[in-house]
Amino acid sequence: MATAHHDDAHDDHHGIAHTASVKVLLGTGGALMMLTLVTVLATKVDFGTNINLAVAMFIAVIKATLVVLFFMHLKYDKIFHTVIFLSAILAASLFVGFTLMDSGQYQNSNIWDVDHPPSAPSGPRPTAG
Amino acid sequence: MSEQAHAAHGDDHGHHGSPFIQHHYDDAQHQFDSGKLGIWLFLAQEVLFFSALFVAYVLYRHHHPEIYAYAHKYLDVKMGAINTAVLIFSSLTAAWAVRAAQLRQKKLLVACLAVTIMCACGFLVVKYFEYTHKVHEKILFGRYFDPCVSSGGTPLITKGNECPGSKSSVNWSKTTGVPESGCFGDVALDLDASEPYVQADCKVYEVSGTEVPKDGKLAFVEKARKEIKGRCFDPVFGPGGGVGHPADKGPRPLDYPCWKTNANPLVCKGGWYFTWHCTGGTCEKPFGAEGPFATESACSDQRRGKTGVLSAQGTSVVSECTTSGASGVLVEYGDHHIRKGDVRIVADCKAPTAAVAVVDPLADREQQLQLGQKATTTHHGLTHAEEKAQLYAGPPPPHTNMFFTIYFAMTGLHGIHVLVGVFVFIWLLIRATKGHFTPDYFGPVDFAALYWHIVDLIWIFLFPLLYLIH
Repeated sequence: MATAHHDDAHDDHHGIAHTASVKVLLGTGGALMMLTLVTVLATKVDFGTNINLAVAMFIAVIKATLVVLFFMHLKYDKIFHTVIFLSAILAASLFVGFTLMDSGQYQNSNIWDVDHPPSAPSGPRPTAG
Repeated sequence: MSEQAHAAHGDDHGHHGSPFIQHHYDDAQHQFDSGKLGIWLFLAQEVLFFSALFVAYVLYRHHHPEIYAYAHKYLDVKMGAINTAVLIFSSLTAAWAVRAAQLRQKKLLVACLAVTIMCACGFLVVKYFEYTHKVHEKILFGRYFDPCVSSGGTPLITKGNECPGSKSSVNWSKTTGVPESGCFGDVALDLDASEPYVQADCKVYEVSGTEVPKDGKLAFVEKARKEIKGRCFDPVFGPGGGVGHPADKGPRPLDYPCWKTNANPLVCKGGWYFTWHCTGGTCEKPFGAEGPFATESACSDQRRGKTGVLSAQGTSVVSECTTSGASGVLVEYGDHHIRKGDVRIVADCKAPTAAVAVVDPLADREQQLQLGQKATTTHHGLTHAEEKAQLYAGPPPPHTNMFFTIYFAMTGLHGIHVLVGVFVFIWLLIRATKGHFTPDYFGPVDFAALYWHIVDLIWIFLFPLLYLIH
């Protein structure tokens, strides 16, 4: 903490916590605005649904990382706060991941989908004609 | 600013006297660190809180990508992008507010907090416009999803014919399928109220002609017709009113057509009434001396009294009056008398042309070409863009309401967080003007900013997931 006091960039710990420099604040804000523009423009290009989604999510993750690291000071903060935050992200991904893995299991028995009708005569059959 | 910062920097050392340092903490550092740990635990909880909705989103999108592809077109990318920019800017000012508090820059702190509050309110205003538009167009969640337009903007008539101010607002009677009120435009007729989106396209014409005696009756001979658009019903006289009205001197404006229909031959409205007696394909002329009547019941009494006379006077038949549902609705214009029966309104309705998917299990089976038979192929397939435009112009796929259930749940919960943020920042603004925040006590500003950044973070994901679906 004390070693950073004479840092000319003001990216230092001031008193009881880290103080973000004006340069970092404006840089982060500017980058976030730019990335918002990029993600809107990227939607206009047709890469195929999945790649478009991947591009949009990639940009969103970069934006989120910028916010967390610089606006939320996590880069300069205690490592324990990072651990807390990442645990929450990990738990959230587990929720999503496990639900997705599980959801396909009942496709044939529970979920009525005209594109994937039940294979066994366990439900109403589509009427022909 | 940097010199100011240095000066503040130098001054602060040795001051540990903020009155807001609680007794049970060792010092300012201890209090700040405890608060910071607390807010990070809260933020972790927030991530988990929202993750439940993200699970719903991902699961439903995985199973029904077509719904997302269709429904996101209802959302305005411009609005979403503006809100994204507004939130990012407010995040910047919130982060700057923390810096200002740390450096004892009171004016800057107050300014940053004020701008953050304004941005948050701006976000909510944009959301308000988005939500009210959706309420207006019935693009809502669950069973309230009954949109007035397709996602491509094609007017749809809802099951209850209850879309206000949409492109076509002629109200077609739910039971008989004949028009009753509203304005002309490009209109669609809901052919089967129980079957959503089975709609006919209707064109409404002003037909001029003459009445020629034929077999002791007057037959209408059409001379010319022109399409009419953008006209509304007489708001005072209503359906069936107007003919023979004392104030009805000279030609009435063409903008006020009145309807005569088989389904509703006896009309009392606004104290006036006249009677059309229709049987099958013929309608009888109203009596000249009918009306006005002060009340609905007086009108009804008079009507009942006249009915007997009417049926006795079977000769006063003026015109054909055919009503056959979708194939054509004949209605009569209000200035019939003035124009001597030479103008009528006719609605020609075409049955829906959109192909209804036929489930034919044999359709895809290979067929052998016989000797001499020519194989035919289509001239050109639709391009990707054309296919999409066609998709968006059509009615929503089944269960599209689920997209909006998820949309309103996610943006609603996020909006509530923004609203809470507004109040928190107002509280901070008040305290900042009182000079409560000092370099050894700025925790509240820092923690509120962290909360605000998480709200921004959620929106960073919501924006592409809801508005930018390709």
